[in-house]
Amino acid sequence: MNGDARGWRMALVPDALINPPEQARAALPDVLGVLEAVIADQVAEYAHHGYAVVAVGVRGEPGEGLHWRRLAPLLRHRGVALPPRYLVRPQVDAVAEAQRFAAFLAGYDLPAEEQRRWRV
Amino acid sequence: MGRRIDRGRKRGTEQNAPRKVALVANCLLNQNAKVCQGAHYPGLVSPVVEVLRKRGYVLQQLPCPELAFAGVRRWWAVYEQYDTPAYRTHCRRLAQAIAPLIEGYLRRGDEVILIGLDGSPSTGVRFTSSKPDWGGRPNRPEDDWEIQPRRGIWIEELEAELARRGLPALPATGWALDMGRFDEAGARRDLEQFLDSPETTEGSRDDGPVAP
Repeated sequence: MNGDARGWRMALVPDALINPPEQARAALPDVLGVLEAVIADQVAEYAHHGYAVVAVGVRGEPGEGLHWRRLAPLLRHRGVALPPRYLVRPQVDAVAEAQRFAAFLAGYDLPAEEQRRWRV
Repeated sequence: MGRRIDRGRKRGTEQNAPRKVALVANCLLNQNAKVCQGAHYPGLVSPVVEVLRKRGYVLQQLPCPELAFAGVRRWWAVYEQYDTPAYRTHCRRLAQAIAPLIEGYLRRGDEVILIGLDGSPSTGVRFTSSKPDWGGRPNRPEDDWEIQPRRGIWIEELEAELARRGLPALPATGWALDMGRFDEAGARRDLEQFLDSPETTEGSRDDGPVAP
């Protein structure tokens, strides 16, 4: 795609990995019903058009931070294979965990044939 | 910084202490959501994240109405092409889904701002793209459009939903990514000026309209 810098690879990540723990979401309304459906629609759209999607959770967070129990059936309903998941382990050595995480990310992409089909 | 509706409520424990929350356009945290040929970064727009993080903002990604409505392989479009009853209904549905979260932030005393995408037909804040006679087969790069000083459709509907709930207008600006020629340094300066301006830093902490 001439002049387009998109990376074609993305990760679903929980709030706990985006914002600092001390800023963790306080008691707020559960608005995820409609938004989970929107997220599932968007993941399906990406997955069906040549994007590599992974999900990254946090061990110890409720639902690993991903609301996976609710999201997985929505994805299946949309004909999407569940994205590979990685669980960050906050309690282990940060350097080792970062290496493990980097290896996970480096090891996943769509098959070359799929990449050639879409990423032009 | 930003809008609060807590009437200066006393600050509680650290966990309950008011935070600075930035509602961020979906594509500023994921350039893969951009229209074909519109992505300027592989993933997130790192200068936006850097500037907000440096000032202590919690990031809250907004949904992308265009992606959900027209898909990831959609054509580029202008305001008038998205200004349809069906698209406005779609945006309104998303706004109704996200508004309770924004209201929750405001009611607990958080300071909330909105960072959109200037030039976007949907997420423009200061500017949107306009060409009333656009239609039919796209013809890039010959096609030309104009930049108009107005909100995009999604921002209009989101602000309307917040107003329906009796919430104050949020301080808002746009990262100038879709203005024709992208100037990263200029966009960064604009954002920093917005975040550091007295209007934004003081907002309406004690004078905003308060819903019952």
